Amino acid sequence: MLKLKKYLAFTRAGIIESLQFRLGTAVMVAGNILYLIVVYFLWKAIYASAGTDVVNGMTFSDTLIYLVLATALFNFMEMYTVWEMGRSIQSGKIVLDLLKPMEYRSYLFWSFTGTFVTNFFYTFLPTFIIVCVVTKGAIPLGTNLLFFVVSVIMAVAINYSIDFITGTICLYTESIWGINIMKQVIVLLLSGATIPLPFFPEPLRTIVGYLPFQSIYNAPLTFLLTAKPDVYTILTTLGTQLFWCVAMMLVSTLFWKVSLRQITVNGG
Amino acid sequence: MSPIIEIKNVTKEFKVLNRHEGLKGSIRDLFSRDYNIVTAVDNISMTVEQGEIVGYLGPNGAGKSTTIKMMTGVLQPTSGEILVSGNIPYKNRAKNAQEIGVVFGQRSQLWWALPLIESFRLLKDIYQISDKDYDDMMALYSSLVDIEPLLHKPVRQMSLGQRTLSDILAAFLHNPKIVFLDEPTIGLDVSMKAKIRTLIHALNKEKNTTVILTTHDMGDVDALCRRIVIIDKGKMLYDNDIEHLKGFFGSYRTLKLRIDGTPEENAEVIRKEVGEFSVSCDNEWISILVDEDKAKIMDVLASLQTKHEIRDIKLEEISTEEVIKKIYEEGVC
Amino acid sequence: MTKRKGLGFYLRIYGKILTQDIKSKMSYRADFIISTIGMIFTNLAGFISFWILFRNFPSINGWGYYEMLFLYGFSLIALTPVQCLFDNNWSLRMYVYSGDFIKYCFRPINLFFYYQSEIFDIKGLGQLAFGIGTLVYSWAKLELDVTFLAIVKTIVFLFTASLVMIALQNAAAATCFWIQNSFFVLDLVLKFKDYAKYPITIFSPVFKFIFTFIIPIAFIAYYPSLVILRPDEIPILSWISPLIGMLFFFLSYKFWMFGATRYSGTGS
Repeated sequence: MLKLKKYLAFTRAGIIESLQFRLGTAVMVAGNILYLIVVYFLWKAIYASAGTDVVNGMTFSDTLIYLVLATALFNFMEMYTVWEMGRSIQSGKIVLDLLKPMEYRSYLFWSFTGTFVTNFFYTFLPTFIIVCVVTKGAIPLGTNLLFFVVSVIMAVAINYSIDFITGTICLYTESIWGINIMKQVIVLLLSGATIPLPFFPEPLRTIVGYLPFQSIYNAPLTFLLTAKPDVYTILTTLGTQLFWCVAMMLVSTLFWKVSLRQITVNGG
Repeated sequence: MSPIIEIKNVTKEFKVLNRHEGLKGSIRDLFSRDYNIVTAVDNISMTVEQGEIVGYLGPNGAGKSTTIKMMTGVLQPTSGEILVSGNIPYKNRAKNAQEIGVVFGQRSQLWWALPLIESFRLLKDIYQISDKDYDDMMALYSSLVDIEPLLHKPVRQMSLGQRTLSDILAAFLHNPKIVFLDEPTIGLDVSMKAKIRTLIHALNKEKNTTVILTTHDMGDVDALCRRIVIIDKGKMLYDNDIEHLKGFFGSYRTLKLRIDGTPEENAEVIRKEVGEFSVSCDNEWISILVDEDKAKIMDVLASLQTKHEIRDIKLEEISTEEVIKKIYEEGVC
Repeated sequence: MTKRKGLGFYLRIYGKILTQDIKSKMSYRADFIISTIGMIFTNLAGFISFWILFRNFPSINGWGYYEMLFLYGFSLIALTPVQCLFDNNWSLRMYVYSGDFIKYCFRPINLFFYYQSEIFDIKGLGQLAFGIGTLVYSWAKLELDVTFLAIVKTIVFLFTASLVMIALQNAAAATCFWIQNSFFVLDLVLKFKDYAKYPITIFSPVFKFIFTFIIPIAFIAYYPSLVILRPDEIPILSWISPLIGMLFFFLSYKFWMFGATRYSGTGS
C-alpha cells in the first residue's frame, strides 16, 4: 500500500504539471475535435461511394467509432517515452534516474501517469461523448464497457513495454527520431489504428494476428463495438492480451537489464 | 574625429503583462491591455571613441544586456538617440550588423555541427570579406593563439573555453569597428581566462577595434579596461577611468580563513584582533575585508597565524556588487 | 562598404550552408541510415494504408484509384520542401524558451533566412523520390498527355503548392513567440497535412470554406492537381492557387518576422 502511495505521488505531480499549460490544452482539445471532423467527412464520403452500407462487416458508424476512438486512445496512450528515454540517455541524465530508489522502468511509467489522467479527461472522454452523440447510440453501453476498460489497461501496459524496448535501443544509437518514427509507424499500421483490421486482406490479417500490436487498439475497440461479446471471444481476446502483456513486460525488463549491463561494462 | 558610439538620453521601457490566474485569466491575457511599465534603462548618455575598451559593469538585471541589445539593433529605444558608427542601429539592423561583432556569453553563434574552419568560411561569405582580408586575419589569428587544433574540430565537441575562444575569433573575423563581449570569461578556469584576456587585448591593439565588455569579473576589468561604466537599476552610476575608481576599492581585498572551532566564536575573537577591518562569517569561512593601504594582507595573515590553527585560506578581489555598494554608500562621481 | 545583397547572394550562401550541413550529417552514418529507413517506413506505411483502403472501396466521391494516387503523389512532392528546408521551425520554441534565439539577430542578413538555413533535413528527399515515382506512375496509368506545357504547369503548381504548407508551418511555429506550449499547434498542423491528399469535395460547405481559405490544405494537392487531372472543369481557384500559395507564404513570413521582433523586443 505504501508503495502504491509513493507511485501515486508521481501521478499527482504530473497532473499539476500538465495543468500548467492551459492554453496548450485548449489548442489540443480544439485540434482533436477538428481532426475528428475531418475523419468523419472522409469516411462518410468513402461509404457513400461504396454503394453498400456494410463493408467487411463494418458499417459507417462502426468504422467511425473505431477510427476516432483509436486516435483518442493513441493520444491518451502516447507518453513520449522514447523521446524521454532517448534524451536522458544522450544528456547523461539517465545516471541520476538510475540512482533513484526504484526501478527505472516503473519510475518512468509512474511519472507519466499524471499526463495519462489529464489526457483521459481532455481528449478521450470528450471524444467518447461526442462519438456517442453523433452516432446516436451506435456504441452499445453494457457489460462490454467493463471488458473495454480491462482491455485498455492491458493495452496501456503492452504499449508501454513496446515503448520501453524502443527506448532501450537508444542506448545503442543516437538516432532517436529514426527509431521513434519506425516504432510509431509500425504500431499505428499493424495495430489497426489507421485502418481497421477487418479491412486488411486475408494473409496480412493472419500475420498481424500473431503480432502483439493488434492487442493495443484492435482488442479494446472490438469490445466497444460488440454489444454482447460471447464467452469465447472474451476469453481469447483478453487471454491474448494477457499473454502479450506478460511477454512484453518480460522482454522489455530483460532487454533493459542486459543492455544496461553491457553499457556499464563498456563504460558508455 | 567623431566618436564611434554616441548614446544620448536613452531610455528603454518594457511593457510587462499583468498575468491572471485560471483558464479565463489566460484567455484574457491574450487580449489584455493590462500592462505594467518597467524602466530597464533610464536616461543614459555616453560616448565611446574608436579603439577604446570600455568595461560595462553592473549587477544582474541592471540593464546591461538591454543597452547592448539597443546598440546592436535588436531593440529599439523608447526615447533618446543612439548612433553606432554613424548608423541608427534599430533602423538598419543588417547594415549595423556588418560593422559590429557580438559574443553573447555561453550562447555560441557558430554552426554547431561544423568544424570551425567551415564556420569561418561561411562567415567570410555572409560578411563578404575579401580573400586578402580573410587571409590576413587568419594569419594574425595563428600568430596570437594556437588555432590549428581548433580549426578542424566541430564546435559541439569543443570545451567551453575553446568555444568561447572560437566565438571571439569569429566576432572579430570581418574586422568590425566595434565588438560587444557579454561575459566572455564566465565559467572558465584561470588559465583560459588569461588566454582570452590576452587575445582580446591583442586584437584591440592590432586592429584598433572598439570593445564594449560586460562582465562580473573584476579580473577582466583589471586586465583590459582603462575606462569603466557602471550601471544599476537602469541608471548610470559611474563613467570614468578605472584608476579613479581604484582609489576607492582597489586597495581592498577579502581574506577568507577556515579555522578550527566554531566560526562565530572565532569571528568574534578575530574581530578584536584585527580592529579596524570588518569581519563576517558564513558557515565555515571567516571573511576579513582588508584595506591594503593600512595593513599588508600578509602581515594580517602572519599575525593571525600565531594565534590560530588555520586550516585553509582564500584571497578574493572585491566584487562588482561590493564596488557598487561602496559607490552607493560613499559616492564617487 | 556593403554590397547589395540580392537573390544571388542568398542562393550562394544557402548552397554553401547546405553542402556543409549534408557533409556533417553524413559523418553520423548510423543516425543517417536509421533516419532514412524511418522515413522509408513512414512512406511505405502510407502506401499500404492507401492500398488497403482502395481494395475495399474502388472509388471515393467519384475519384478513381489512379486519380487518388495522383493526388497522393502530388501532395508528397508538395510537402517535401517544408520537410527539407524548414525543419528548423520545430526547434524554434526551444530557442525562444531558452533565450538562445537572440544569437540569430546579430548577422547582417535576413533573420528568417538565416534561421531556416541552419538545418537541411536530408531525409525529406526519400519522400520526394516516393512522390515523383507515384506521380509518374499514376500519370502513365491515367494516360494523361505528356506535353511540355503539362510538365511546366505541373512544376509551377507543385512549387506554389509547397508554399502553402510552408506558410502553415511558419505560422504555427511563430505562435511560440506568444504562447508557451506551441508544440500542440505545430503538431496539429502536421496532422492536417495528412489530409491534403483527399479531394476537398468530400467535405461539407463549411469545411470546404475552412480548408480553402482558413487552413488552406486544399491548395496543397487538390486545387493544383485539377489543372492536370480534370482539364475540362478547372475551377477558378485552381488557376489562382499559385497566387494563394505566394500570398500565404508572404503573410506567414511577415507574421514570423513580426513575432521575432516582438520577442526580442520584450527581452528575456
